[in-house]
Amino acid sequence: MRDILPTLERWAADGVKAATATVVSTERSAPRDPGAALAVSESGDVAGSVTGGCVEPAVYEEAREVLAGGEARLRTYGIADEEAFEVGLPCGGTVNILVAPLDPQLIGPLADAVREERPVAMVTPLSGANAGVSRLVSADGPSDGEVDERARELLARGNTAIVEVDGAEVFVSSFAPRPNMYVFGAVDHAAALAEIGRFLGYRVTVCDARARFVTPERFPEVDELVVDWPDRFLEQAPVDERTAICVLTHDHKFDIPLLKAAVATPAGYIGAMGSRRTTAEREERLRAEGVTDEQLARIRAPIGLKLGGRTPEEVAVAIAAQLIQTVHDRSQAPEPVAG
Amino acid sequence: MTGADVLVRAGRLASEGVPFALATVVGVRRPASTRRGDRALVTSEGELVGWIGGACSEPIVVREALRAIADGESRLVRIGPAGEAAAGAHPDAVIAASSCASEGVVEVLVEPQLPEPLLAVLGDSPAAESLARLAPEVGWRVTRELAQDAEAVVVATMGHDDETTLAAALEHGVPYVGLVASARRASVVLAALRERGVDEDALARVRSPAGLDLGPSTQPEIAVAVLAELVAWRHSRAPVPATPAVAVDPVCGMEVAVDAAKEIATYEGHEYYFCGPGCRSRFEADPASYVTVEAS
Repeated sequence: MRDILPTLERWAADGVKAATATVVSTERSAPRDPGAALAVSESGDVAGSVTGGCVEPAVYEEAREVLAGGEARLRTYGIADEEAFEVGLPCGGTVNILVAPLDPQLIGPLADAVREERPVAMVTPLSGANAGVSRLVSADGPSDGEVDERARELLARGNTAIVEVDGAEVFVSSFAPRPNMYVFGAVDHAAALAEIGRFLGYRVTVCDARARFVTPERFPEVDELVVDWPDRFLEQAPVDERTAICVLTHDHKFDIPLLKAAVATPAGYIGAMGSRRTTAEREERLRAEGVTDEQLARIRAPIGLKLGGRTPEEVAVAIAAQLIQTVHDRSQAPEPVAG
Repeated sequence: MTGADVLVRAGRLASEGVPFALATVVGVRRPASTRRGDRALVTSEGELVGWIGGACSEPIVVREALRAIADGESRLVRIGPAGEAAAGAHPDAVIAASSCASEGVVEVLVEPQLPEPLLAVLGDSPAAESLARLAPEVGWRVTRELAQDAEAVVVATMGHDDETTLAAALEHGVPYVGLVASARRASVVLAALRERGVDEDALARVRSPAGLDLGPSTQPEIAVAVLAELVAWRHSRAPVPATPAVAVDPVCGMEVAVDAAKEIATYEGHEYYFCGPGCRSRFEADPASYVTVEAS
């Protein structure tokens, strides 16, 4: 829904009624992920999409019915493969789509939170008296029961999913701020990594102590450029489980204090560039600094999957692939027990 | 043609995506008819433009240039009188005995300049759009249509006639063929291909799902996974096996690139290739003697 917020804001400002169709869950491969939304205005305008264009016509009709006063509804579009062949329809996947009237009161606060990168979840019951009626839950403030708590757990991880509370299903759409990627070392690889990092939805900061290398000309694709000692910067920077820390400095003078600081954070990904020999030497020095084996195991070094590429852009792809893999390894790990 | 002219022409060929090899004289032991820094380029048809020494060196440089264009590897070629060229040579230099009277030794660096490989991204799904946008960054040319000379084809149409596209890619013998689809969707597509008569060997070449297995993925992540697999695939691939045909000059014994040979003679229904006009005229004066030598 993030992609159509500007349109929804405009409609809300103009007093145009609208209904939304939102992907709440998918099975097997689907063209768009949960949270993707299509909106239909009362004048018949359309924004966004829920699949690659295959179920949109059907969804559009549902949205028109809701706009005409119909009830919110949950629809399942599962296309049997044989049928998919005959009609030339896609995927072989299944999508569950919630079609509901859009509450214009929610759009302003939601768009503000997204703009200001404040985490907020949109919570929508899928059944019962309030089916299809959304409300916003922020990351802090008083908790209004178990639904809010579950929503906040998902929001903290940036996940969008259905939760079940007291036997009722509730859709939680997370509008989490982009996770941070901190790239240390203003080298060519950093520029390439920044670009692919932004493509994957990270807010990218490049940090180096050498001011003359940290220029917007060299790094047009970053959100923030910082001239500072890497370890000093990291110690005050916000880090959570979604944060990626990429150490491309390959200079012990910067690496050692920086990696020592990095393993003390909850960052979900820590990678460090350097040859195998540099890596071995660095490990020795980090051990001497009191870094434990368990902490060392969190550092991916040499950074990136071994793809055989040599150019900075190829190395950036190798790092991005490893980052994705690490994120999924973690999301498949058992949930930590809240305590 | 000066060395600078050669570079201008090289730049033009590179921008047109035409393969060629650049040959640069990097070492000379006098007497020799060339100097360090002399340059030529060799096209994939074996045409040499520029100067890297005369008729003694040219056939050898052309032969090595065509090999370099075929396998993508640079080589250092050391040309000199038999028995002397090898002395003091770099261990991985190609040693070539020149058949000339010249006593000099010339070292030529031959560098292939190959166009970036072509990736055909088919379909307009979000993953396909992203892949088409990212691939040029890692050195692929991208087309959105099935091109015969594509080295990789990724089909991500989300179901709009994957089979036809895949069948065509397999028929063209495209080396990397990837399908972005769920396992279930893929099995349906493969079954349909089988029904169309595509054989099992060809079916086994379809990478499905395309991309490294990085875990359950969002659309941007799928694009990166496919890109990562393409990077790995490109670098793990064995050099192109096609090597240019080479014939032995029956007079001097030098290996000559057949396609580029200018001096050719026919004797008793066989074609013979020569390093230069000297060898050809000696052959033509008494072909029988040379043919006997070759046959032994």
